Amino acid sequence: MIVYTPLAPSAPLAAALFLVTIVLVIARPWRLTEAAAAALGAGGMVLAGLVSPSGAVSDVAGHWNVLLFFVGLTGAAAVAERSGLFEALAGTAARLSAGSPRRLLAAVVAAGAVVAALLSNDAAALVLTPVVYVLVARFGLAPLPYVLACTFVADAASIALPVSNPVNVIVSDRLGVSAASLVPVLLPAAAASVLALFGCLFVIYRQQLSARAPLVPAASSWDAWTGVPRPLLTAFGVAVAAFAVASALDVPLGPTMAAVWLLLLGVEWTSRRPERPLDGVGWSLLVFVASMGILVDGLSSAGITAWLAQLVLGQVRDSPAAVMIVTAFAAAVGSNLVNNLPAAFVFADAVNSAGLSAASAHAAAIGTIIGADLGPNLTPVGSVATLLWFVLLRQRGLQVSTWSYIRIGLIVTPVTILAALGVALLLGVPR
Amino acid sequence: MSAPRRFLVALAGTEDAALPEAVVRVVGAGAEVEVALLHVAETGARELAAYDPLLRRGPWPLPKKAEIEHRLTEADDEGAAALLASWHEKFALALPGTKITHEVAQGRPEEQIIAAAQRLNADAVILCARPRTGPAEPGPRSVGHVARFVVDHSPVPVLLVRSSRTVP
Repeated sequence: MIVYTPLAPSAPLAAALFLVTIVLVIARPWRLTEAAAAALGAGGMVLAGLVSPSGAVSDVAGHWNVLLFFVGLTGAAAVAERSGLFEALAGTAARLSAGSPRRLLAAVVAAGAVVAALLSNDAAALVLTPVVYVLVARFGLAPLPYVLACTFVADAASIALPVSNPVNVIVSDRLGVSAASLVPVLLPAAAASVLALFGCLFVIYRQQLSARAPLVPAASSWDAWTGVPRPLLTAFGVAVAAFAVASALDVPLGPTMAAVWLLLLGVEWTSRRPERPLDGVGWSLLVFVASMGILVDGLSSAGITAWLAQLVLGQVRDSPAAVMIVTAFAAAVGSNLVNNLPAAFVFADAVNSAGLSAASAHAAAIGTIIGADLGPNLTPVGSVATLLWFVLLRQRGLQVSTWSYIRIGLIVTPVTILAALGVALLLGVPR
Repeated sequence: MSAPRRFLVALAGTEDAALPEAVVRVVGAGAEVEVALLHVAETGARELAAYDPLLRRGPWPLPKKAEIEHRLTEADDEGAAALLASWHEKFALALPGTKITHEVAQGRPEEQIIAAAQRLNADAVILCARPRTGPAEPGPRSVGHVARFVVDHSPVPVLLVRSSRTVP
């Protein structure tokens, strides 16, 4: 049965506030940061009376698990970066490649997938990309295929585990689906999308990859593991195992991640004292996520997310397979229109308000995660931000062949989404 | 004695190792020839690596943009220097007595090659028809877009070198 929920009279105002906020987040005029823009929007929601002040406080408090998770995740990624782990991984990739550009691409994709799965897509894209670039330059190779591989694999692999993408935690938290219950479906789906990505890059760059690397760097420059403190390496292993056990037992992810971070920080402190141990913790990410929660609450109380759920899920709500497909494509489109974090928030809330059966909700969580994680790759820098990126480069007098970047995303995104969705439909839909 | 003839050799780095022999057969060697080896570091990938995070990744705590750019530029320079050094050896072997210089530029290869030819007042530009894609027989599509652009825009003669199999 389809229940039609009417939009509240405040709906246009709420929608306008949300859209203006998203435009500010993407365009960032007047040196505004994303977090400040989102906070402005959240403040606007409260001032306009769409969210009560007490409601706003409970929105933020209700996200304690997600917020704590982000503190821990960004902190742990910062410890990993300081420890030289990324350089060591890239060095191993270089050694495994033995000067063959094809094998180097495969090794870079594999390293990127591991980093994205364990330390989040953003850490992989932000920290690994420059490291890989430096490595590829040492081989005298054109870095573009490898840089694109880092950018794309960061997202392709990020459906794997709850830690792999902030979107995953937000979606499972909002839908009340156990994050661990998604892993048996999403981990194989991630493998499928990473393989599909590698296949695409391999075919697109087959000619460039067929020549041998013109330089062979000294082997000493590959062996970077000696730079990583041993106790810290052990601590990373312990942290991964502890996290796996805790999420299998359905311990909330926030406290687990925070504990993992404190453990890593403690071990780092004993082996070499970092000058600023709190550097790299994403405080602004917290403000951003908290503000998004309030903004989406405003949309929700105006009936917009319920209306959206009806629009998207109205006809298919009782078939988990159809729900998964529809949410995946809707989330992919949504995250190209706005950024993917806001898209994930809106979608999770929409699905939540649809009152789906447990099986359909599970399928919706998987579909939303696949769409919102892989979708932004449609354009290589994601969402509307791409346009801005090119404007920025042109202003600086730099010539970028727009098409050479965009066409990769146009090919890779549908292929990876279909690969992941195919596996998820096989494994994640009860028959 | 007249001034030495000056040739600009554009290197992507992936050229056939027999390039110096092909060059010596056509232009000769010795003191009456000067060779400038040019490598152009493409900036597109570097921009992607430095800017993608800023717009794509939201309020994730970032390494400083200037810091990343600096690291990447340094890597490019280091790679270019190593590349030119390895080709320098090969050219020095094939062209004894010839003065060999290095040029590094950044930007689009096709534009930078033309700019360098003008700047150095070169007598001719030498480059491989399609350096990145390995050996190719002469025929349709056997000249890459960089070489095409250089042929179209070069103010001086251009020598297109084929891979070793097809050099006479």
